[in-house]
Amino acid sequence: MSTLHAPSVLPGFGLTFGFTTFFLSAIVLIPLAALVLMVASMHWAEFVRVILSPRALAAYRLSFGASVLAASINLVFGFVIAWTLVRYEFPGRKLIDALIDMPFALPTAVSGIALTSVFAQNGWIGRYLQPLGIKVAYTWIGVTVALTLIGLPFAVRTLQPALLEVQRDLEDAAETLGAGRFYVFRRIILPTVLPALLTGFTLAFARAVGEYGSVIFIAGNLPMKTEITPLLIVIHLEEFDYRGAAALGFVMLVISFAVLLMINLLQAWGRRRLIARTR
Amino acid sequence: MSITLDQVTKRYQGLPVVNDVSLEIGDGEFFVLLGPSGSGKSTLLRAIAGLTGVDHGRIALHGRDVTHVSARRRGVGLVFQNYALFRHMTVADNIEFALRVRRVRAAERRRRRSELLRLVALEGMDHRLPLQLSGGQQQRVAVARALAHQPEVLLLDEPFGALDAKIREELRRTIRQVQRELGITTVLVTHDQEEAFALADRIGVMNLGRLLEIGRPHELYTRPATRFVATFLGAANLILGRQSHDGIHFGRTAMNAANAGAAAVAHGARTHEVVTVVRPEEVEIAATREALVSGYLAQGTVQEVLFTGVLERARVRVAAELDASLSSGTADGSGLLEVTRPQHEQRAFQILPGQTVAIGVRRIHILPTPLSSFTTCASSESLADALAQEPLLAQLAGRMKTRIGIRIEPRLGMPDALAGNAADFSGTTVIAANPDAAIQLQWLLQRGAQEVLILPQRASAPQRVVIHWADEAVRRATLAVAASILRHVSAEAIYIGILPDQTSRAQRPHGMRALLDARSEAQAVHGLEMRTELRFGDASQELARQLAESPGQMLILGLGSTSRLTERFGSLFAMNPSPLLVVHREHEAAGAGALSRAAT
Repeated sequence: MSTLHAPSVLPGFGLTFGFTTFFLSAIVLIPLAALVLMVASMHWAEFVRVILSPRALAAYRLSFGASVLAASINLVFGFVIAWTLVRYEFPGRKLIDALIDMPFALPTAVSGIALTSVFAQNGWIGRYLQPLGIKVAYTWIGVTVALTLIGLPFAVRTLQPALLEVQRDLEDAAETLGAGRFYVFRRIILPTVLPALLTGFTLAFARAVGEYGSVIFIAGNLPMKTEITPLLIVIHLEEFDYRGAAALGFVMLVISFAVLLMINLLQAWGRRRLIARTR
Repeated sequence: MSITLDQVTKRYQGLPVVNDVSLEIGDGEFFVLLGPSGSGKSTLLRAIAGLTGVDHGRIALHGRDVTHVSARRRGVGLVFQNYALFRHMTVADNIEFALRVRRVRAAERRRRRSELLRLVALEGMDHRLPLQLSGGQQQRVAVARALAHQPEVLLLDEPFGALDAKIREELRRTIRQVQRELGITTVLVTHDQEEAFALADRIGVMNLGRLLEIGRPHELYTRPATRFVATFLGAANLILGRQSHDGIHFGRTAMNAANAGAAAVAHGARTHEVVTVVRPEEVEIAATREALVSGYLAQGTVQEVLFTGVLERARVRVAAELDASLSSGTADGSGLLEVTRPQHEQRAFQILPGQTVAIGVRRIHILPTPLSSFTTCASSESLADALAQEPLLAQLAGRMKTRIGIRIEPRLGMPDALAGNAADFSGTTVIAANPDAAIQLQWLLQRGAQEVLILPQRASAPQRVVIHWADEAVRRATLAVAASILRHVSAEAIYIGILPDQTSRAQRPHGMRALLDARSEAQAVHGLEMRTELRFGDASQELARQLAESPGQMLILGLGSTSRLTERFGSLFAMNPSPLLVVHREHEAAGAGALSRAAT
């Protein structure tokens, strides 16, 4: 009972808790419940046929595969960018820092079109990749590029504060103790920022899985090849196949939830391990 | 030698943070680098550790030149103010870090770890995380960690900074004990003089990037050579006195100083102003002059009495006759003497604020600095006042903890009979830069002024001090003044030797030799590093050209004779935009001149 009456900055636990439930229900739970309800009204055989169709399987593979790949790329390069912004003072640092947020603010369709024009066979970058036999636009590579772009700010923004906490003194201490740069990175810096790395990966991944606007322009949308799951859902909707769309949405929901839950558990486990050692 | 620093300079954005530091630290020595924040002491320590590169100079550890060796290969242990422990590792992992890096076997690591934990009195703490330990314990772990790889040198950067007084004391003892037990050469950086005294075999005092003085704690405390060291190592009353062949005069009283003889030699036989140091515990207070055991200084009024346990601290305002010559080490009130008295003296003679007392002094130390005080001199009071307000002068006087006096000479620079008493001009006389500066300078020098500063309006603090003497005989005095100035401004020094154009080839090597002599004397006597340049031509023109090269320069010019001053240097004085300090020694010139002739 005491927790219900504990004083806090916001007025009354009852009020805030009520608001939280209401808010979550209105914009998250009820729509999701409607989705599940829609799926529940399907016949089992029909459900299986829709979600296990070769076209759907190819779409899952592309959606989740490209998202994991994009989040991983963001993990590495987001780390490098965050490191540069935190550790170095150089002219234009503030500008670059502001640019990181651009994918947040830009309508995704705009970034999609921009990427397509740059990476198309006659685009600024595409024309130099073409002779090397690399096709970006209208292939899975293009999908990954688009997903990387929109996930980048998530990785950078979660890593920045964590890197600020790695004191220079720690590296100096390790260096005087004889550690080389790689050793310092592996043993000192990485363990300190690992939780932030996981969070950044999670956020970038979650964003990529749900992305639609920027991808459809660069993907080319060839069934079985460059068709992402969200697009397949839209195709079903356009054919007034609401149930098929709902079924695919349900599958995405389950897989995404499973992945996010796994990462969260991993983090909680890491934290617990640290606390356990503290006792 | 365990550590050898040779002319180490580190610049940060063009400004020297560590300025020409040369130092030798012996095997097993506990050396403390003491200085206020921003004095460059931590930068110097990081340079020794290899974490900061140097712009100039050499660093050697145990005879091995490590100037370009990275920190990880220098074999030093470094302890930081904020411990810098690896928070995700246990105490054991922290201590074994250096051993793991070196792939030492587990059994050996364990053995070494328990040995180190015993050394820092933390047995059984192996599996704690740093955050579970108190600050003092964390710093002990940091010390153990820094010693794990058996470094040749232990470096400690303000290791007690984040700890409270009691823990500090305890840890201090542990560190001293560890240092003795291992016999490891140790350098500790601190701003706390008490800490320095408690730990050091020798102390090096730093200010503005320069290593001012090195010595044993007691030596530095009782016989400092510079104002800064005198006032930084504990409270000090700085009193201006006049020294003559028969002793030191304060106002109307005369007394003998412990090192009066040495200072007299340094300044020649004339009566001149000196800066004396009187420690608060060397001041005696009694009811009457007759009751004093030590030499009488002045009458005074007790202003304030503070009881601080073991000692009583009092401030006594001295009577007017001495007031003007007092430039207290505590900047807040001139005319006030700091006094500390132990219990038995308090019992023998109790004092209360407002009481009139006789002040005696047990021991006086004369600083060998040639710059005692400043006196601005102009033909009217408003001009002299304005000159005293000049920012550069105020800054110099503030850093030197000395006073700026004012003197009105309505006939300054006018050709009249030498009526005034020659000894009247004491300390450094300051005049404003003006077209008649050369005439005024000659006027002042003829009346006994020894140092004259010609100050342009709103001059900025110099970044380069240009040194030149017109006569070899004033070399020593000019160098002493230059060294004194350079201790109070963060600037580089350059000596310019000038030979006349028509110098024959045969004589040119003499010019070079004079240059090298000047440099080695500056280094040997004052610890002052300076660049040297040899030029040919007219001295006045060459110096004017040097000063016109860039702003932010100051010229220190030594003159042995005042004859033909306006012809020789008139143009330089008249149009010079930089501050110009003239050093003039007539008596010494004669004596030293004879000496140098005898030598050649």
